Amino acid sequence: MDLSSINIGILTIIGLLGIGFYGLLACRNLIKIVIALQILVKAALLGFVTAANISGKVNLGQSMAITVIVADTVVAVVGMALAIQVRRRMGTLDVKKLSNLRG
Amino acid sequence: MINLVLFFAILTGAIQSIRSKRLIHSAIWLAGVSAMLSIFFFKMGANQVAVIELSVGAGLVTVLFIFAIGVAGEEAITARPIIPRVLTLGLVTIFLVLLVWFIFPPSTTVSLTPEPSLSTVLWEERGLDVLAQIVLIFAGVLGLLGLLAEAKPPLDQPMAQEFIVKRQEGLAELVRESDQSAPGSHLPEEPERLGEHDSVKEVSYP
Amino acid sequence: MASYLIILTICLPWIGGLIVWWVGDKHPRTQHTLASVFAVLAGITSIGLTFYSSDEALIQISMGSIFGKFTLIPDGLGVFLAAIATVVGSLAVIFSINYMQDEEQLGRYYALILLFIGAMAGLGLSGSLLFMFFFWEITAFCSYALISFHNDDPKAVAGGIKALIVTQFGGIGLLAGALISYATLGSYQINDLLTRAQSLPSGVLALIAFGFLAAAIAKSAQVPLHTWLPDAMEAPTPVTALIHAATMVNAGVYLLARFYPAFEGVPGWKTSVVIVGMLSALLAAIMALVATDLKRVLAYSTISQLGYMVYAIGVGAVFASQFHLLSHAVFKALLFLSAGAVIHAVGTRNMYSMGGLSLKMPFVRTVFIIGSLALAGLPIANGFFSKELILEDGLLHGPTWAYWCMLIGAGITALYTARMISLVFYHQPAQLEPSHDAPTAMRVSLALLSTGTFTTWLLAGPFSQILNETLPLHELRHLQTFEMALEILKSPETWLALLVILIGISTWRFQGSFQAILRTLRPISNFAKEGLGFDWVNAQIVKGIQSAATAFRYTQTGILSWNVLGILGGLVILFIILAWGA
Repeated sequence: MDLSSINIGILTIIGLLGIGFYGLLACRNLIKIVIALQILVKAALLGFVTAANISGKVNLGQSMAITVIVADTVVAVVGMALAIQVRRRMGTLDVKKLSNLRG
Repeated sequence: MINLVLFFAILTGAIQSIRSKRLIHSAIWLAGVSAMLSIFFFKMGANQVAVIELSVGAGLVTVLFIFAIGVAGEEAITARPIIPRVLTLGLVTIFLVLLVWFIFPPSTTVSLTPEPSLSTVLWEERGLDVLAQIVLIFAGVLGLLGLLAEAKPPLDQPMAQEFIVKRQEGLAELVRESDQSAPGSHLPEEPERLGEHDSVKEVSYP
Repeated sequence: MASYLIILTICLPWIGGLIVWWVGDKHPRTQHTLASVFAVLAGITSIGLTFYSSDEALIQISMGSIFGKFTLIPDGLGVFLAAIATVVGSLAVIFSINYMQDEEQLGRYYALILLFIGAMAGLGLSGSLLFMFFFWEITAFCSYALISFHNDDPKAVAGGIKALIVTQFGGIGLLAGALISYATLGSYQINDLLTRAQSLPSGVLALIAFGFLAAAIAKSAQVPLHTWLPDAMEAPTPVTALIHAATMVNAGVYLLARFYPAFEGVPGWKTSVVIVGMLSALLAAIMALVATDLKRVLAYSTISQLGYMVYAIGVGAVFASQFHLLSHAVFKALLFLSAGAVIHAVGTRNMYSMGGLSLKMPFVRTVFIIGSLALAGLPIANGFFSKELILEDGLLHGPTWAYWCMLIGAGITALYTARMISLVFYHQPAQLEPSHDAPTAMRVSLALLSTGTFTTWLLAGPFSQILNETLPLHELRHLQTFEMALEILKSPETWLALLVILIGISTWRFQGSFQAILRTLRPISNFAKEGLGFDWVNAQIVKGIQSAATAFRYTQTGILSWNVLGILGGLVILFIILAWGA
């Protein structure tokens, strides 16, 4: 296996996906969960750029990546606002304490 | 060689971001990941996206995170994770192995047709995407304003007294007029009264 | 011309339903009149349609490439089912003018009945499997809504839900068969399935065949999915007469008759159909013998007669089964409506509280006896001709053991019919006084139906001609009416059957001499009163599902991490399936 950008790119995507999902599953702090989501989105971005590199249509991939950056920023903003409000109203950011269902 | 360094840097940054105890440190590590990623983008030939990712990911989002962490405050959650660590690690490993099995090795097909420039592609071919992004930003701003709004306290001042008196006088005049024009007819219903109230108002302001 | 008639037959009741509902419950007389007018108009158009029957798809609505074309074909079977639905429907609506006189929410009632009539006509006329499924589900919904019409009565609501759930099992069978046929043949059209059935691999064809058989069993209340019909008797009586005696339960028999040429080659299919029909006929007759509720007896009798029709299809006598369908629709509606008149006058459904009504309600007694003549299969009434035709064809083409069981079933039918008449009208002394004999609107329906009972067998000739012309795949002979009548009267099986029926009736008359035998049969009768164990099985299934659902509540923790685990787990399973497939 050669160390070209494409191969390394794919390995990075897979690695970031794994780390992001692990963060989603294991973290109890709400803000850490938003950070894990951000890592997942960065993996998606890298996926677009790698695919653009493979197929040769760099500009198409770039325009899609720009779209994803915009959407992901909005998600981060709204997620942070939610976290702030949760902290104000419920007093805690712990995911376990925030659930109201009793099964 | 550079690729390998970048690979390890990105993954280390991400792992540290998840693992660190303090939230501010996580945010800074995330900025680092963004920076490394932007170099990688540049190496792959996506120049504009690299610049945008650097400024937005390492700049805007990091500042936002630090601000939010400052407002929300650090909370030390020292309890154990909810799902047993074995289960988490096992599932994630299976997932990664499956992904590697599916995606590796990639096919290398390069299209030979020359591509139009980025601005042409962005504005002409994917114009709808740009429109959707604008709507998304707008919606995000509105959502943010709504989410961060403080609860309004109830009105502590009643309506001004003179306004109430003026309205009552107007209504009494209306009743007198309708009795004169059509004797014995019943009073008009609520909506009509409001409409005629406006026309009476116009008369009283010469 | 025919296409306009088709559209009118389906849409007139629907438009009528909308208008009656829109008129509002403050004008009940307008509602009664409008409903009857629309129902009668639909009946007239569908009778007119019988003269224009053909086997080409006259109406085709294209629904895109995924759903194919929704077609409506006025062939013999379809026109016939539509005519029965609309004509018996209009008579039931006329009967409701008096029966539902003091009820509230008439708009909902009439709208649902008219919606049902239109959907039933559409079910028969439909030429596309998906279109048929659409109408099938509308009839199931209307049946549920009408059974639980008195939705403040928990028994009615429970009966409605039970009917809905059991018939939906059948609906799954129909949908599965339709989808499999689409996947293998590429088309939803019924005629395509009929002509190209032999080209399908035998496993696939068997799946479709048994799926449709399950749908027919559930919809026509055959054993083992028959438990919903006796509990559906909580519905107002005109609803029972229309839906659960004359039309909706016929949809299953219609399904089997329509697809008979496609499935007759499937190994074991015909035998299963014969067994199902035979079991239903016998077991339901036994249960009818011990029931105390008048409408329940008639419900079990419906199951039993439908068993005869299903048995007839199993031995290959499609015409005989459809002919008995026609007779049964008429005389069962007559029986249910007159039972409704009795219940309306007396106020109870328990037969042991009635008695001696023969003097107080002479008109109802007469029509009830006419209906019972047809049910028992005595000559001149239409039930005689159709039942004899079934038994004759059963002996010729089917297994002999089945024939003997059906013959015994005919005897038991006569027995419980005699019991029913005697307990309601003649058994002395009278315990409850009836408040009135049948009022006018009820009498109109009842009189029309009783004339029908004596005359519908005359339609056998033209009916078989229409079937012969428009259904080439079914290979039905064309019979003149009198030819058929003579054939029946001359054959020895008829005399054997008449003998068994007379034995049945006299067993009731002279039951005093049989007391010793009756005492030994008592444990069986107690078991039969419990529904022969089928209701117990139902209750166990319901209990099992509820406990499983309660156990599943533990997965709803509400904690984010577990939900994400679920998402990731699902993704991993998806990947594993994909990897396996590759």
